[in-house]
Amino acid sequence: MFRRELSLNNPEPDNKTKTLEREIKLARNIQMKLLNGNNPKIENGQISGISIPARLIGGDYYDFYLLSNGKLRIVIGDVMGKGIPAAMLMILTRGAFRSAAESTKGPGETLTAMNNAMYEDLRTLGSFVTVLCADWDPCQRTLTYASAGHNLPLVVKSIHEVFEAPKIKGVMLGGLPSTSYEENSIKIEEEELVFFYTDGITEALNQDGEMFRIDRLEETLKKNYGLDVKEMEESITNSIDKFTENVPQKDDITMVLLKVNHDQTNITSYNSPVINP
Amino acid sequence: MLKYTTVEKNDFLLVSLEGDLDIEGTEVVNEELIPELVHYHSINISLEKVPFVDSSGMGLLISLVNTLKEQNVKITISDVQDDVFEVFELIQLPEILGEEVFI
Repeated sequence: MFRRELSLNNPEPDNKTKTLEREIKLARNIQMKLLNGNNPKIENGQISGISIPARLIGGDYYDFYLLSNGKLRIVIGDVMGKGIPAAMLMILTRGAFRSAAESTKGPGETLTAMNNAMYEDLRTLGSFVTVLCADWDPCQRTLTYASAGHNLPLVVKSIHEVFEAPKIKGVMLGGLPSTSYEENSIKIEEEELVFFYTDGITEALNQDGEMFRIDRLEETLKKNYGLDVKEMEESITNSIDKFTENVPQKDDITMVLLKVNHDQTNITSYNSPVINP
Repeated sequence: MLKYTTVEKNDFLLVSLEGDLDIEGTEVVNEELIPELVHYHSINISLEKVPFVDSSGMGLLISLVNTLKEQNVKITISDVQDDVFEVFELIQLPEILGEEVFI
């Protein structure tokens, strides 16, 4: 018994490595399960999200939350840094979003509440998080969004046209205390696709040290206009893979795709938490 | 890989950063640059040779400026490339660090 305790407290270097590896794998499983939950099913529309960490675990984040007024709240974020430290803060961000989403009216208010909840911790840790939050109204087909220093979504209108949602300012979470966030709304027409993303996509490097950049992303989106969200997701990842060849992925890559089909869109199921099962 | 050079004039120090400011620069900024800079009264950091700053790099820059300010060091940042400054504005970095920091 004593010997066993002793060996647990003072593991050999090999055991230490194994323990660490096991714990990282477990942490990865937890993160992957929390992150890649069920995508909401939308009648006459589709939504999908994917996150590919650069290391075993990452600091990117996306989530969906169905609001009682029938709208869907979408969030995508990028925690400063990579690996385990970023992953820990990503979980903090997820908690802040889930509690804020329930009690706030719009994406701007959600970001304010998230910043209020996280500001002190982020300052203590010398970190910050960029987040874009958007409410999708399936009846009015409007997307209302607010940004905490995050890049704005792209709207793919046709094989010839893609545009970035109009710019709005917003300080990243952890940047300034008690800050408020502007909102803007845009109409999304039938067959159009909204593409939310993190900078791991546009900043993916090839062998010559060249970045993928927004131009290549826009070209890929236009070229694949008309595909369903899963196929589009695959086209984007293939296009990045083809561009980067065998260069190791430097930053986490995350995207959320919302496509409006013909007719009115209704949200039929979602992955928001069951508070009282 | 991030590198830096310094030129000293009386109590003033001009620091020129060179290379991408990203997570790879963490040790250079936190373990070399900050401990060296806290001994000066006035510092300018030139980003002329910094073509790219990612989210980790911005965190390093915030940490650098805030640490020096806490030590009552007067700090300014100059020669930011257009592409980089566009990202700084997106996250409202001038508001966070103080408008007077960027010259």
